[in-house]
Amino acid sequence: MHAVRNIRLCTKDCLCLYVCPTGATDTENGQIDADTCISGCRACVDACPSHAISLVPDTYPPQQEKSKDVIAQLMDLAEKKVEQESIAEEISASADDPATKQLAEALAISNKLMAEDLIRESGYMLPQSENVKEMLESLLSLEMGGDFPKQTIKDLIELISKNNTTEVKNMSKTKDNLMDAFAGESQANRKYLAFAKKAEAEGHTNAAKLFKAASDAETIHALRHFEVAGKVGSTADNLKTGVEGETYEYKDMYPPFVEQAEAEGNTAAVRTFTFAMKAEEVHAALYQEALDTLDNDEEVFYYLCPVCGNIEKFVPDKCSICGVPGEKFIKY
Amino acid sequence: MSKYVCTICGYVYDEALGDPDGGIAPGTKWEDVPEDWVCPVCGAEKSAFEAVESKEKNAASIKPKPETAQKHELSKMSFRAMSSLFSNLAKGSEKQYRMAEAEKFNELAQYFKSIASNKAHDGFETLGRMTAENIEKDFPSSNAIAKELSDRGAQRALLWAEKVTRIVASTISKYEKSGTEFLDDKNIFVCEICGFVYIGDEPPEICPVCKVPKFKIRKIERKVV
Repeated sequence: MHAVRNIRLCTKDCLCLYVCPTGATDTENGQIDADTCISGCRACVDACPSHAISLVPDTYPPQQEKSKDVIAQLMDLAEKKVEQESIAEEISASADDPATKQLAEALAISNKLMAEDLIRESGYMLPQSENVKEMLESLLSLEMGGDFPKQTIKDLIELISKNNTTEVKNMSKTKDNLMDAFAGESQANRKYLAFAKKAEAEGHTNAAKLFKAASDAETIHALRHFEVAGKVGSTADNLKTGVEGETYEYKDMYPPFVEQAEAEGNTAAVRTFTFAMKAEEVHAALYQEALDTLDNDEEVFYYLCPVCGNIEKFVPDKCSICGVPGEKFIKY
Repeated sequence: MSKYVCTICGYVYDEALGDPDGGIAPGTKWEDVPEDWVCPVCGAEKSAFEAVESKEKNAASIKPKPETAQKHELSKMSFRAMSSLFSNLAKGSEKQYRMAEAEKFNELAQYFKSIASNKAHDGFETLGRMTAENIEKDFPSSNAIAKELSDRGAQRALLWAEKVTRIVASTISKYEKSGTEFLDDKNIFVCEICGFVYIGDEPPEICPVCKVPKFKIRKIERKVV
């Protein structure tokens, strides 16, 4: 995902220049340099007061399947439109009076635009799609005259293949690194929070403050890594990810952990694993419910148990997992 | 009091309201609106209007089997259609700021245009006949198939092309009736997105067909011969 600037919306506030970490926004052609733009960084997108910058994907998903019948219809019409274009063009070229020439020129342009749009909808929407690449490849096998621009076609196939795969190639190792860094930073955040709590309890206020600040800093890092790795999808997708993650934890991850802790006689571990396991099951169900009712505008409140992490949609008398009184629950 | 809708831009003529700016008093029956009255929004002729009730058109009842096939055989395409395919891919590349690709697609567009051959024709007469055929035959059957197969993209492209074809057809018929008289002291504009043709002083604020703002509507200059 690299940033592009819509020149028509740009009001030259130049905040993109101010915030860009690599200078990719500082060019003389009005565009943002795709090679130096950090994928998914979006600092300029968020900074622009005119909403003139947006992120475009480096790779697009495959096009929707088109039916043969629809393509045949669109192509048939497109052929008729290019024929009309050619007639109008000839009228314009041979007309003696300026008004006829002008009108015929307008009709030629109009017909060409209609033809282009109809052909585009016949499966040739994205220049870098597989469909276009295959079409170009099949063009090479056509029997054509001497001035047939074979090299241009080969160059295009090369350029299109690059568009389709560059990000995947360049990003594969970096994506792994981003996710490793995300895991590390996320752990550091929780770890420093635990340390801050301890420092507070021991009365070391300054150390507690530092641990808290550092913990927040790691959150900033973790969130940025995660976003750049392309792991933040639409809310619907994210809810699905939530259901999957929580389900894995309560079904597959925690049960053997609880068993092992019981076998080793570690009651504190049995307790924290069991609380988490039961709470994750509740979370999975809530995520699923939220996904099913995503378009529902009615406001919902959630209540969190501060002891075991259970979430309820009403204030219970006591927590159904750990038994803490309902008044301790935190409203969201 | 009945209402009639412009099939090009969606403007509604309400008999109760008339079109005072166009010289039609409130309460004027549709049949009493003069034949040379045009749509105040897009310039379409009276014949491009239809009664609001009869919106469902008699589409051909074609029941196609949804057979999926992404590819269209290139050998079936004319060189001119190939040229349009490539010029459009060039535009698509430009919009993504991929100028190297745009340049090469444009080269291919020019090559195929240069080797395209033209069919014999009778000028405006042939254009008039072809647009009439498009409106009477081609669009109804294509619309029906695109709708049947729930192809939203195709339905969208067909809707725009049909509206533009109607306005083109009406322009051709005006030309055939009275030559270039209707163009006197007027400008000609073409929407660069959908091909909508507008004859008037200033282009509309937004294209009546595809709704792009007017900076995308291009003025076609009248050149001295």
